Amino acid sequence: MASGVTVADICKTTYEEIKKDKKHRYVIFYIRDEKQIDVEVIGKRDEEYEEFLAKLQGGGEGDCRYGLYDFEYMHQCQGTTESSKKQKLFLISWCPETAKVKKKMLYSSSFEALKKALVGVAKFIQANEIADASREVVEEKLRATDRQ
Amino acid sequence: MSGAIYGGDEVGALVLDIGHNTVRAGYGGEDSPKLDIPTSIGVWTDSQDDVGEPQYKYNIGLTAIHVKRSGMELTTFLKEGMVENWDMFENLTDYIYKNALGAVPCDHPVLITEPPWVTPPKREQMAELMFEKYKVPALYLGKNAALAAFANGRPTCLVVDSGATHTSAVPVHDGIVLTQAVVKSPVGGDYISAQCRNYLEEKNIDVIPPYMVSSKEITKPDEPASWKIKNCLPKVTDSWHNYMVKEVMQDFQASVLQVSDNLYDEEIVKSMPAIHYEFPNGFHKDFGVERFKIPEPLFNPTTSAKASIQPILGVGPLVTTSVGMCDIDIRPAMYGSVVVTGGNSNIQGFNERLNRDLAAKTPPSMRLKVISATGAVERKFGAWIGGSILSSLGSFQQLWISKQEYDEGGKAIVQAKCP
Ligand SMILES: Nc1ncnc2c1ncn2[C@@H]1O[C@H](COP(=O)(O)OP(=O)(O)OP(=O)(O)O)[C@@H](O)[C@H]1O
Ligand SMILES: [Mg+2]
Repeated sequence: MASGVTVADICKTTYEEIKKDKKHRYVIFYIRDEKQIDVEVIGKRDEEYEEFLAKLQGGGEGDCRYGLYDFEYMHQCQGTTESSKKQKLFLISWCPETAKVKKKMLYSSSFEALKKALVGVAKFIQANEIADASREVVEEKLRATDRQ
Repeated sequence: MSGAIYGGDEVGALVLDIGHNTVRAGYGGEDSPKLDIPTSIGVWTDSQDDVGEPQYKYNIGLTAIHVKRSGMELTTFLKEGMVENWDMFENLTDYIYKNALGAVPCDHPVLITEPPWVTPPKREQMAELMFEKYKVPALYLGKNAALAAFANGRPTCLVVDSGATHTSAVPVHDGIVLTQAVVKSPVGGDYISAQCRNYLEEKNIDVIPPYMVSSKEITKPDEPASWKIKNCLPKVTDSWHNYMVKEVMQDFQASVLQVSDNLYDEEIVKSMPAIHYEFPNGFHKDFGVERFKIPEPLFNPTTSAKASIQPILGVGPLVTTSVGMCDIDIRPAMYGSVVVTGGNSNIQGFNERLNRDLAAKTPPSMRLKVISATGAVERKFGAWIGGSILSSLGSFQQLWISKQEYDEGGKAIVQAKCP
C-alpha cells in the first residue's frame, strides 16, 4: 500500500550529485502539497553530522522529513592493521513519535516511492526518535552491511 | 491512463473498518469515525407471514439491537474478519448509507479495511458488491495492519492487534503485509469477557444485565443485591441475553482488569490495590487478585481456567514466532518497532507486560521497542484513522480502483491494485 506521492526530478539529480560527484554531504527532502517529494535543504560537504540532524528536524516536533547522507567511517580489514576510509549512503525517514498522525501517515506511506527512486543507497533507516538517527546507531547499521 | 483515474476529489470517501465487535464508518479526512456500531445484528422473522420462505428482518445499530423482542437472535455476518453472510452485510451497508450517514453510494469512493489473512475470493466478492450493487465510483481495499503501521509512522514494523476475537502478530515491510509470517491466536477481548463471566459464576455472582433491572436498592459491599426484575419481559433468546451480559463484562474488564507486570504471582499481586465495581443490579464489591488472574492467559496461556476456547500462544510468543518466520535481514527492524493496536490492548498494563516478555526473548544484538498510539481512541480506531487520511490525500486519487477499471478488468483487478 502506498500514498501515490511522486518524487520530483530534482531529488534524483541532487542524489546523483552526491553519489557520483560528492558535491554535497546531505540532502533533506519534504513532501510538497501532499503530492510530491521535493528537496528542502542541501548540506555542504564540510558540514557536521549534527547539522544534518538539526535540519532533519527542521519541521519541528509535529512534522516529518526524509534525509540522505553520505556517511564516512574507518574500516579495518580483518587480519590486517590497515584501515581504509569507507563512504556509504543512507536514506532515513524521520517520523518523530510527536508528529501529527496525518504527517506520520503521509510520510510513512510515501517512503517507498523515494526508496525506489534513489538507486544505490546502502541502507534505509526508519527513525522515530532522535536516538534512532544518532551517529553511533547509524554507523553500527552501516558497518553491519560490511560483514556480508 | 488518465481516463481511468477517479477524479472526484471534492467529496470525502466513505471509510469502513469492519471488526467483530464494532464497525467503524465515516468520511475520509475526518479525525474519527462518525459511527462505531455493533457488528452484531438482531435477526427475527415475522411469524404472521410464514408462508413460503421465511422473511428475515434485521435490527441494526446500538439502539435497535437493544430492543427487547421475543425470538430475536443476535448474530454476526463476519467470520475470521471476513464477510460470511452477505445478505446481512448488505443490510448493514444499507443502514450505514441511508439511516446513519444519509449518503448516496454513487457519490463517494469507498475504502474498506480487511484482515491480513483475507482470501482473494472474499476481496473479489466485496468488489463485486460495491461496484455492482452500490455503484460506487471507486474502491480501495486496505489491510488494517498496514494502515495502523502507517498511522504510527512506520512503513516497516510488527503490528500486534488485539481485538475482540483474536490477537495477531503481523509483520509489515515497506507498507506490505508479509502474509506468510502472520501469527494469530483466538484470544482477544471476547475471550477475556468469557473468562470474567466464568469467574463470576464460580463465585456465585449473578450478572444481571440492565435490561432486566427495574429498580435497585443500596446495599453494603459483598451483600446480596436488592433489586426488582422488570415486569412483562418478553421471552428473549439466549444469544440476545448473552450479548447483554457480554456488554456488562466489557465494562467490567475495562474498569477492573489489569495485566500483571511479570508472570502472574499471587504473592505479588496481593499487595496491589483492589478496585471497587458495582454491577447493574446494585451488587458491589472489591476485586483484588482476580483483577490480574483473569487476563493472565492472554500472556501466559497455561494459567487458563476453563473456557470455550483454549489459547495457544501468549502475546509474547505470537510476536517471537512471527518474527522468526520473517527474513533474517528484517528481524531487527521488527523488534525495533512493535506497534500495539486494537481495543483489547487498552487493558491496563498490556504494553508493559509485552515489553517485559519480549525483552527476555529479543536477541541481545537487537534493540526492542514496543509502542502504541497514545490515546485509547487512536488504538481502537488506528486502522480507520489511517484509512481516513490515506483516502483524503490528493496523491491517492490515482490508486483507487475506478468504476471504469473494474468494468474493463473485472473483479480480479483488486489483486493487482490493492496489495
Ligand atoms: N479500555 C479497555 N480496556 C479493556 N478492553 C477494552 C477496552 N476498550 C475496548 N476493549 C475491548 O476491546 C475489544 C474490541 O476491540 P476492537 O475494537 O479492536 O475489536 P474489533 O476490531 O471490533 O474486533 P476484531 O479485531 O476481533 O475483528 C472488545 O473486546 C472490548 O471489550
Ligand atoms: Mg480489529
